[in-house]
Amino acid sequence: MKLLAKILGFALATAATFAACGAAASLALGTNSLSAGSAGVTSCGASSLSATRNVNNTGNVTQVDVGGIPAACSGETLSVTLVGAAGASLGSASTTLSGCTTVCSASFSSFGATIAGTNLTGYSFALVGS
Amino acid sequence: MKRFALLLGLTLAVGSSAAFAATLNVSSWHVFAGTQTLTKPAACTVTGAAADLYVDESNAGSNFSTATFFGARAGTGVRAYSFIRFDLSTCNIPATGGADSATLKLFVSTAPGTSRTLTITPVTGTWASTLNWTQWLGLTLGSPTTTFTTGTTSNVSKSATVTVDVDGWIKNGATNFGWRIADLNTGSATTLISSTESTTNKPQLVINYEK
Repeated sequence: MKLLAKILGFALATAATFAACGAAASLALGTNSLSAGSAGVTSCGASSLSATRNVNNTGNVTQVDVGGIPAACSGETLSVTLVGAAGASLGSASTTLSGCTTVCSASFSSFGATIAGTNLTGYSFALVGS
Repeated sequence: MKRFALLLGLTLAVGSSAAFAATLNVSSWHVFAGTQTLTKPAACTVTGAAADLYVDESNAGSNFSTATFFGARAGTGVRAYSFIRFDLSTCNIPATGGADSATLKLFVSTAPGTSRTLTITPVTGTWASTLNWTQWLGLTLGSPTTTFTTGTTSNVSKSATVTVDVDGWIKNGATNFGWRIADLNTGSATTLISSTESTTNKPQLVINYEK
């Protein structure tokens, strides 16, 4: 009985050790969400992105151009969200970056909705790749 | 000793699988997230044009840049078109900004007897304030931006939306060659508009913008 208790105690300690090691090299999915701030953690070198937009004569956004993307980000997926008052999403678009030489750039012309330039207060970017 | 080895092996296997079953390995992914906030200052109003004039088909070699009016005239052999260009630099809008809306305000000092539709078209080549009818024929134009109706009442202000042109000129000031204003309809009519040389009611460009 004493031997069995010793073995069980050792087994529990070993399991706990491996669980801790596993968690240190991984990202828990318990909350089912992933958030990130403006600080990048990408190895393709993007530290900040900026966009400009064109409008038609009615003042609706017809195109968004995103620049400042390092060429190393070629092949990654860039998503841009057009943000309105109180941080509301007005529309979004995404593309896979390609054809990059010294830098990458991307142009979007469809956002899933008609967006008045006057309602646009900013952009949100996400760059994801392997 | 054999029993101990068996238990140890089983424990290692269970411990490893339990640790990784609830986790996602992200070591092979790049993730970047960022934001850009736009500011919307108060509207910039440019009063008075950098250049405005009219050219007259019936005086093809003459220049009319110092009159207190410009305008548009239709009629065979007597057509008159106007050209107007604003200096946007006074608004200090960065090239990374853009126009949310832009309105050209013109004061019709003498309206025609019947209402006419005037067409505003961007000019795509450079012109000087010495422009005359003969020279304007060598200019190139873009697609018409908009139109406005004169009405038949004199001394009224008229507005035309020119957002798309001004937005483009904010981003690339070198392409700002202003507009041509013309009465392209059939028949004969004359509309006079107060020019920058007028003491009051000068042309205005009102720009709501972001940067």
